[in-house]
Amino acid sequence: MVATGVAVEAVVNGLLLGGIYALAALGLSLVFGIMDVVNLAHGHMLMVGAYLAIVLLAATGITPLVGMFLAMGVLFVFGVALQRVLLERVVGEGIEQPIIVLFGLALVLQNVARILLSGDARTADIGIPRGWFDLGFLSFERTVTFVVAVVLVALTWAFLQYTRTGQAIRATAQNPDAARHMGIDTDRIYALTLGVGTALAGAAGALLAMLFPITPFVGWSYLLKTFAVVVLGGVGSVPGTLVGGLVIGVAENLGDLYLGYRNVVSLLIFLVVLLVRPQGLLGTGGEE
Amino acid sequence: MAQQERSVSRRRYLRGTGAAGIAALTGLAGCTLGEDGGGTSTGDQDPLTIAATIPESGRFSSLGQDLRRGYELGEQRMNEELDREVNLVVRDDESDAQTLREQLQAITSNNDVDMIWGSFSSLLVTAGSAFAENQELPFLGIAFAYEEPHRNDGYEWTYAPFPKSRDITRSTLGTLELISESERPGQVGIWEPNSGWGAEQAGYWEDRLSAEGYEVVLRETFEIGSEDFSTLISRSESAGVEVLLSNPTPGGGITAVNQMRENGWAPDMLQFVRGADPSAWWSALEDAGAYALMCPGWVPGLTGNGNEQLRNRYESEYDDDSEYLAVNVGGSYNLTQVAQQAVEAADSLEPGAIQSALRGEEFETVIGTFSFEDNGLPAEGELTAPTGQWWDGAQRLVYPDTDSDRALDLQYPISPWDER
Repeated sequence: MVATGVAVEAVVNGLLLGGIYALAALGLSLVFGIMDVVNLAHGHMLMVGAYLAIVLLAATGITPLVGMFLAMGVLFVFGVALQRVLLERVVGEGIEQPIIVLFGLALVLQNVARILLSGDARTADIGIPRGWFDLGFLSFERTVTFVVAVVLVALTWAFLQYTRTGQAIRATAQNPDAARHMGIDTDRIYALTLGVGTALAGAAGALLAMLFPITPFVGWSYLLKTFAVVVLGGVGSVPGTLVGGLVIGVAENLGDLYLGYRNVVSLLIFLVVLLVRPQGLLGTGGEE
Repeated sequence: MAQQERSVSRRRYLRGTGAAGIAALTGLAGCTLGEDGGGTSTGDQDPLTIAATIPESGRFSSLGQDLRRGYELGEQRMNEELDREVNLVVRDDESDAQTLREQLQAITSNNDVDMIWGSFSSLLVTAGSAFAENQELPFLGIAFAYEEPHRNDGYEWTYAPFPKSRDITRSTLGTLELISESERPGQVGIWEPNSGWGAEQAGYWEDRLSAEGYEVVLRETFEIGSEDFSTLISRSESAGVEVLLSNPTPGGGITAVNQMRENGWAPDMLQFVRGADPSAWWSALEDAGAYALMCPGWVPGLTGNGNEQLRNRYESEYDDDSEYLAVNVGGSYNLTQVAQQAVEAADSLEPGAIQSALRGEEFETVIGTFSFEDNGLPAEGELTAPTGQWWDGAQRLVYPDTDSDRALDLQYPISPWDER
């Protein structure tokens, strides 16, 4: 019999974790929803962001909360360059070609990280004395990273909702041809979207480095988890991604607590949602 | 399969023709030189060729260099002390069982291999073992505590000079007995990875510790590869766990301790078998990794049976005078001592003769004196299963007690996080 207090802790810890899952999945969801590209290298971009924060911390002592901005900047440039140099040539050529390119990129990133940084697991300390705050049973690191993640998700939603560029991105997502006829430079929008998507992956990586060990091989497992979040929340939906992340985080913790299984739970949810509600909780199913 | 059979045939063919050639040459020498000229020099003995794979890249890469160094120092010693040339052919298995099989296939196809040495972890060692059993070649493996394959897979050629689950349990009990009775913790929690070895080790811990009067207040399973231990931590805290025992992967162990720190909870005593083995433990956790106990086969602080020789060779070969060697250097060096003593006792490179020596002899290595059961397990109760503890960035022996300066008095209890 599980004590009520332990169950409450599991739910709260799951919510805190779910916020970061949502941020990690948001970039994947945007790129998928707007560009119709399944970014198989998304988990590896997250890994790169994590390593940037870790290396910056090791070299200069700067907290990953600041390193996160460096990771976002570097990965934004990387995403834009990736779209301009590689993906632009294959987007619109069918679903297979971008997948193959991005799968190859994932392998390259994994092996470059392994060669440069070895296969050892590395983590980053948050760099803020824990004595500053007493949050009771709440983990200080999880609480801080949750707040940062949710703020970033909210800013992304506001950007898409209230800026002209955001409106152009949404217009491109709905109908690229119509958007072009309305004078929107869709090539630029795609580059910007991939840049934002990879920057969000970088931010999530920097935050996750404070909670979990990072190795060059973590990309695939985060890719699977973020896929589950995206499918649950609905492709391209920012609020859906947030809800999906929170649900997956709580479900994993409760699955662990009551069944002894954690990762299986997110994959089961992935399958059930695909069967029952393929458009996800808040997705539009392409009717928007 | 056909490829494997071809490589065996080639090996036996080479050995057969080599033996015939030597016999013919010896006969000729006898004709021409007579009795005085017929003596055997060390160069006349067949060379001993050993195939080995180590994880120099991939998930276990942090351990690859340590294993290699132990093997190389052993090869060096064997070349000095055996009356035959010893060639060690080492390749990177990339921490992957399939790559390991391919590498062993490549080595045995291109060399007349007499023996195989294993890699790291149950996953890789059992893959190497399966290859060796198929080839009918003697196989030695460390970092392989799982007993069940020895009993159920019909091992005939696989020998593990390494503490097994039952030995680890004995060492855990011995370590607990270092604590005075009045202070000794009584409530045990076991985190069980969902693997065969996880269940086996957890079962030994629960049975033996319960029999000795400890109360197992928590035994919970977790998924290998899990990155969130917060639920297990909450449950351990709620159950009043004082001694926490588990055998996670190195990555899992590091994550778990990080999350204990985040949650502000720690047991009084923590043993992470295999999880706390690599030096990456300290580089990832630093002071947060202190107090953790491990049972890696060999720990700085053991004495006798070639330990000083190991240290001297290490200093001279690698120009490294570190006070505390990495634990897997000693573990793999111990394996080379078994190999040497088996070949000496067999006085032959015939696989069957080496197998008989492994089954019949007693071995003295840096981890103690022991023999093997027919299924390759170290005989019960003979092997020293040293427990080490992370302290000031080094792994140091805490059990059994020795008079070495490199040993450490058990640091107990673990200090609360806010006092560290």
